[in-house]
Amino acid sequence: MTGTEIALIGAALAVGLAGIGSAIGVGIVGQSAAGLVTEDPDKFGQTLLLQALPGTQGIYGLLAGFLIMQEVGVIGDAPMLVLESAQGYAFLMASIPIAIVGLVSGIYQGRVSGAAVGLVAKRPEELGKGIVYAVMVETYAVLALLATILLLFGIDVNG
Amino acid sequence: MPIIEMKKVFLLGHRQERDKIFNLLHNLGSVEMVDVKSGEAWDEFQALLEPDQPPENISQIDTTRSDIRYCLDFFQRYFPVKKTFIQQFTGGKLELSEDQFTEYIESLHRADEIYGSCRQVEDKLARIRNEITQANNLIAELEPWESLDLPLELVKDGSYAVMGLYTVPRDNALELQESLAENVSNYYLKEVTFDNEFMYFFYAGLSEERAAQADVFKENAVTEVNFSQLSGSPAENIASLHKQLDDLEEERASILREIESLLEHRPMLMACYDYIDNEYKKHDAVSNLARTENSFLLEGWVPAPVLKDLENTVDEKTETAVLTSRDPGEKENVPVLLHNRGPAEAYEVVTKLFSTPQRREVDPTPFMAPFFFIFFGICLGDAGYGILLGLLAVYFTRQLRIGESGKQLLKLLLLGGISSIIFGILFGGYFGDLIKLPPLWFDPLDQPMQMLYYCFAIGLVHIYFGMGVQAYRNIKAGKPLSALFDQGFWFIFLNGLILLLLPGFETAAQWIAIGGGAGLVLTQGRSQSGLVLKFLSGLLSLYNITGYLSDVLSYSRLLALGLATGVIAVAINSMGEMVGGGVVGTVILSIILLGGHSFNIIISALSSYVHTSRLQYVEFFGKFFEGGGKPFKPFGKSASYVDVIKPEEG
Repeated sequence: MTGTEIALIGAALAVGLAGIGSAIGVGIVGQSAAGLVTEDPDKFGQTLLLQALPGTQGIYGLLAGFLIMQEVGVIGDAPMLVLESAQGYAFLMASIPIAIVGLVSGIYQGRVSGAAVGLVAKRPEELGKGIVYAVMVETYAVLALLATILLLFGIDVNG
Repeated sequence: MPIIEMKKVFLLGHRQERDKIFNLLHNLGSVEMVDVKSGEAWDEFQALLEPDQPPENISQIDTTRSDIRYCLDFFQRYFPVKKTFIQQFTGGKLELSEDQFTEYIESLHRADEIYGSCRQVEDKLARIRNEITQANNLIAELEPWESLDLPLELVKDGSYAVMGLYTVPRDNALELQESLAENVSNYYLKEVTFDNEFMYFFYAGLSEERAAQADVFKENAVTEVNFSQLSGSPAENIASLHKQLDDLEEERASILREIESLLEHRPMLMACYDYIDNEYKKHDAVSNLARTENSFLLEGWVPAPVLKDLENTVDEKTETAVLTSRDPGEKENVPVLLHNRGPAEAYEVVTKLFSTPQRREVDPTPFMAPFFFIFFGICLGDAGYGILLGLLAVYFTRQLRIGESGKQLLKLLLLGGISSIIFGILFGGYFGDLIKLPPLWFDPLDQPMQMLYYCFAIGLVHIYFGMGVQAYRNIKAGKPLSALFDQGFWFIFLNGLILLLLPGFETAAQWIAIGGGAGLVLTQGRSQSGLVLKFLSGLLSLYNITGYLSDVLSYSRLLALGLATGVIAVAINSMGEMVGGGVVGTVILSIILLGGHSFNIIISALSSYVHTSRLQYVEFFGKFFEGGGKPFKPFGKSASYVDVIKPEEG
């Protein structure tokens, strides 16, 4: 495998795994939200907000994937680079933090947000606290994204 | 002082004026009533006073209230008032002018009659629902027999012969036929139909052989099906039941039209509900009072700035009432009302989301406000998004009628928009790279490490500021040594460690860190008993350095979120560029740009808001703020359904 291909595996993992995490998380919240809305259709807006929270991991993953694609030259004006396999592995490693943490934190953030739907069912005025709980989980996805971005910026593609 | 001072008031008046005074207080909405019986002085009062009871007609009012509520819920069930997406957050109440509201209230007496009609209609609907279920059940029972061409009234026992309709589990069907052939000499059995579970059959036999037949049937779990109340063939019955169902559906539709004709009363009922609900609360509040034969005593909290107004109003409008006030006592549970001036006011909503401060605590809102402003801007960090966000906030403030905290939230978003315009210009973000302008300061995408250091630096300032506020609280509480030990030594120790990282300061930094650390080791165990324990828990306290480290690292999210907004915006733009030119290309391009950037604004603004809040709650408030105060809830008007618009408001 050429280095470029290995780098693109990294992009695929970042988008794919973090996306799976978000899909599961958003799915969990959607299920409990739909249950609540059968009883009280006016809660749609509030529950949609909660459902959006675990969706960010997928975006972070896409972002990491996009950065890799841009550096490698799959998209954008620059010509596609031919990478050494060591450079390719560097890209693959850089994608790992957001891929793994995105997968797991998306699921757990979904569980917290799903529980927050129950909170909103009984006390709609406490929506904010439910959001804060969910965001405590997201912190680690943000940190993983940061690690991925710093790693990506640190890779020297010309050398 | 952002926390408003409260005064305890006592109002003594003649019973005859009680309702008048209640109306007065209700309209002012500036007094939070307290149950006189819960006060410290009640033990002394008890000899002179007795608890007041709500007036007798309160149960009447409660009934009317729940009747109206029933009607409104009933309407909502069949003809829901749909709320738009935005109204779901803002409440979306019915807007009425004052005249209209009064007019509606005057027809309150009609509520009874409407309630009667609603009840009647609901009973009819319940009956129809019942009949529909019954008809459907009967159809389901009859369906297997549809091919039996025999009037059901003929299926009955005669003097010599017995006959009936039966079902038998499929597995037993064969055995049943064999067993019958063995034990019963004369009989006639006709299979009508099979389904997955049962065989359905008609059976006729002789009366004298009934006992033998019954035994065989019992052995094979045969069940008799009884249609004795029906006449005509099963197929005829099914047809007539279907017709009955059609009739019932029609009747249901006509009843729904009946409900629709009642719907015109809905606005009136909504107004009446709000009116009667307030009446109920007024009557119910009487149970907070104490009374003698001819007078009553009311106890409550009033914000000090409006006390004068209250005194004047009571003086002017009543003849007998006397109002006295005093400062709150040491142990009293005083409600807390926040009041911040200027831009800081917008951030009250962030504080309240966490917790209302305690009475003697400082309100963290003004301290947090500038940091919230800056952090939000760094996270969103795009001038174009900032302009749009600000414009949206202004538009919604003008368009929507919303409560106090909704307005604060919009103001917070407007300020967030302004902040992100500033940081967008500094970092060169204008819808990502749609408009290519050089950054005024530097581009975090090019120099992420530099940006990361700035994030840590501003985080450190934030944390030190929180520690400073706590030190100030300690000093004010008469514990200057606590301020020195718990905040001062940490400040020295942390700064020493940071200086160690900088070249050229090594020796000085070393001694500063050692000095601070030694101070901590010597003082942090001071609440323990025994020298060894004191020293050990002092030493252990150094472990808290990990807490400070993770606090500072947490601010890296500012960089990450800022980059995320920017990179997603760039991604949207480059997706747009991939589309070819021409008319179709331009249309697709605008759809991608419009949809993509709208999506990014919403998601990024939400992340910016929640992550900025988290930095305040966990990293900042954790240093000095406890919360847990009781918010001030004055006795006053409340509305569930309607918004009465005063003429001067437009």
